[in-house]
Amino acid sequence: MMFRYEIKKVFSKKSSKIAILLLLIVVIITCWFATDVFFVNENGEKKTGYAAVRQLRKAQKEWAGVLDEEKLRQVIEENNRINATPEANSKKLTDQEIAYGWTQGIYELRNLLNCSYGEDFCSYDYYRADDLSTEDAGAFYENRIMLLKNWLSDDGKYLFSDAEKKYLIKQYESLETPFGYDYMKGWTQVLEYAPTIIMVGMLILGFLVAGIFSSEFSWKSDAIFFSTVYGRNKAVAAKIKAGLSIVTVIYWAAILLYSTIVLVYLGIDGAACPIQADFSGWKCFYNIQIWQVYLLTVVGGYVGCLFISLLTMFISAKTKSAVLAVMLPFVLIFLPSFLGNIESPVINKILGLLPDRLLQVSTALTYFDLYKLGNKVMGAIPILFVLYGILAIFLLPILYHEYRCKQIN
Amino acid sequence: MELKIIEVSKNFESITALDKVSYTLKKGVYGLLGVNGAGKTTLMRILCTLLKPSSGSVTWNGHDIFAMDGKYRNLLGYLPQDFGYYPDFTVYDYLMYIASIKGLPPFVAKQRTDTLLAQVGLAKDKNKKMKKLSGGMKRRAGIAQAMLNKPQILILDEPTAGLDPNERIRFRNLISELSEERIVLLSTHIVSDIEFVANEILLMQNGQIKMSGTGEEIVCSMPEKVWNCKIPKPLVDSYLKKYKVSNIKNLHEGAELRILSANQPTEDAILETPSLEDVFLYYFGEKAGADDVQI
Repeated sequence: MMFRYEIKKVFSKKSSKIAILLLLIVVIITCWFATDVFFVNENGEKKTGYAAVRQLRKAQKEWAGVLDEEKLRQVIEENNRINATPEANSKKLTDQEIAYGWTQGIYELRNLLNCSYGEDFCSYDYYRADDLSTEDAGAFYENRIMLLKNWLSDDGKYLFSDAEKKYLIKQYESLETPFGYDYMKGWTQVLEYAPTIIMVGMLILGFLVAGIFSSEFSWKSDAIFFSTVYGRNKAVAAKIKAGLSIVTVIYWAAILLYSTIVLVYLGIDGAACPIQADFSGWKCFYNIQIWQVYLLTVVGGYVGCLFISLLTMFISAKTKSAVLAVMLPFVLIFLPSFLGNIESPVINKILGLLPDRLLQVSTALTYFDLYKLGNKVMGAIPILFVLYGILAIFLLPILYHEYRCKQIN
Repeated sequence: MELKIIEVSKNFESITALDKVSYTLKKGVYGLLGVNGAGKTTLMRILCTLLKPSSGSVTWNGHDIFAMDGKYRNLLGYLPQDFGYYPDFTVYDYLMYIASIKGLPPFVAKQRTDTLLAQVGLAKDKNKKMKKLSGGMKRRAGIAQAMLNKPQILILDEPTAGLDPNERIRFRNLISELSEERIVLLSTHIVSDIEFVANEILLMQNGQIKMSGTGEEIVCSMPEKVWNCKIPKPLVDSYLKKYKVSNIKNLHEGAELRILSANQPTEDAILETPSLEDVFLYYFGEKAGADDVQI
């Protein structure tokens, strides 16, 4: 009953209802952006909506399969064939649109070619694929490793220790090739906008839980609360439970609603493709599949939200102020963006382990944040999960103790 | 049933709010009387385990109340001076929530809530939001929450503050009804409230219990006599400076003063029976007439 009333305390406030409505609006708007896919038909006309999704899926599905030398040769050949057509070389916009329409099936693969055959590791030339011949197909996977090695011995020389360089090369080499490719627009779109949902969700969750502990003081109900039999034990636990439940239910409701809408609309094909099969994950040193990226993104977001929410509740309990507490998620989310402009390896190492990274795992997976634990080099992602998972668990008894020992002056 | 306060002191940095207070409370109604800052609320908060004393201890039947933790708080009903509530809760939800943190099982909580709502006259307002209640209704909801667990120790801090005369009378009667078989400690600066309901009165001043006893004992303890005399207008000021005056009634030709003095202030001064209000003035002097005291 205590737990039920704690929840009721939060949601009886008009501001909380508005916050939930705001989150729902953000989810709907984000879904609209994420599902905004277009397809250019044979007449060069840009089509949107579900029909466009089906056509794009059909076009890209034709190129699904293992991305071996033969397949890559076919991709290069198809690209060159399209480039040789009068439409592709026409100055007329409609003709160019028609030519673009033909490339949609190989569009993502063309992007991978641009990455693999790029001039160097950090550059990207959109037209690089157009210069390739079918003989180049064999070097597709080797190039990825070669460009990394070149970068590590050149521009990236001072960014990493020898052990870290070795680790990165080992990770690149251990990617299983040739890897599979499939239409995966559903996953890439879900992953692209997931950090928006998670971050906005975190701000709203912070707002909701910030008052759970401080409201007893702002409503001046603290004296009665703490003078009751459960006021310094079970009622405090009920507050923590209510906070965790609010975070859990609202977070997963928002994420599942968003993911379901986008994935049902765009499709779940390509879940087993490696992250490197997508242009944005080409350089990623974590050898994982798209569905694992999704899982890491949403679970990481949950761990991050849980930790930040618990910290918010702790500040609320400690300072008796919801205003101070509600500022914490803003600081934790936006401060690293400002500090990120400072080019310092030490600051970058610290930034790589801040909890905001957990709210954007799909992006953080592409960062080269490496840490040495003993003799072992590893990426930031597993450390973030363990670190903030443990910190969240540690915060529970600290928060409980902080609140139960409050004195009412 | 014995709540024993043993040499309790409480310091807030350089301020001594309580100074070695000792007292034993047994079944009955105790009125705690004193001006603001006398230490009433601090003492009550210590008795409710909301504050830890800087030194000394409080025991319930020989056991330290802080060591008893939840077991002690289970015996407690508390209505604070600044009574806070959850504004968007209905009266019923509010009481049900407090019942839950008082450890009442849901079925018992429902029964107790309904009984108390009827007892405090809020049965028909039970679905009203707390923020919509009048000051008096809020206080009644406050006393209802304090009574939910049938406390053996009922602590009411300024329960009649801000109530109109009708509500005050109603509240006093309610406290009398609830005072059976328990310790009731009632603090107020409204002397008449204490006079009507308290079996024993504790006068607090500067963090100490200055005097205690029944109303009659306290009145008798006052060494000064109470006089009623009519004073011409030009002399009123000099009498106010010279004597402790517990009441001034303006008349056409001057003022009728109620004076505390061992000697007869004027030849025609009539000796009056002292009241608790006079005692209050005697002990608390100038401060008794300050903003916080209503006689």
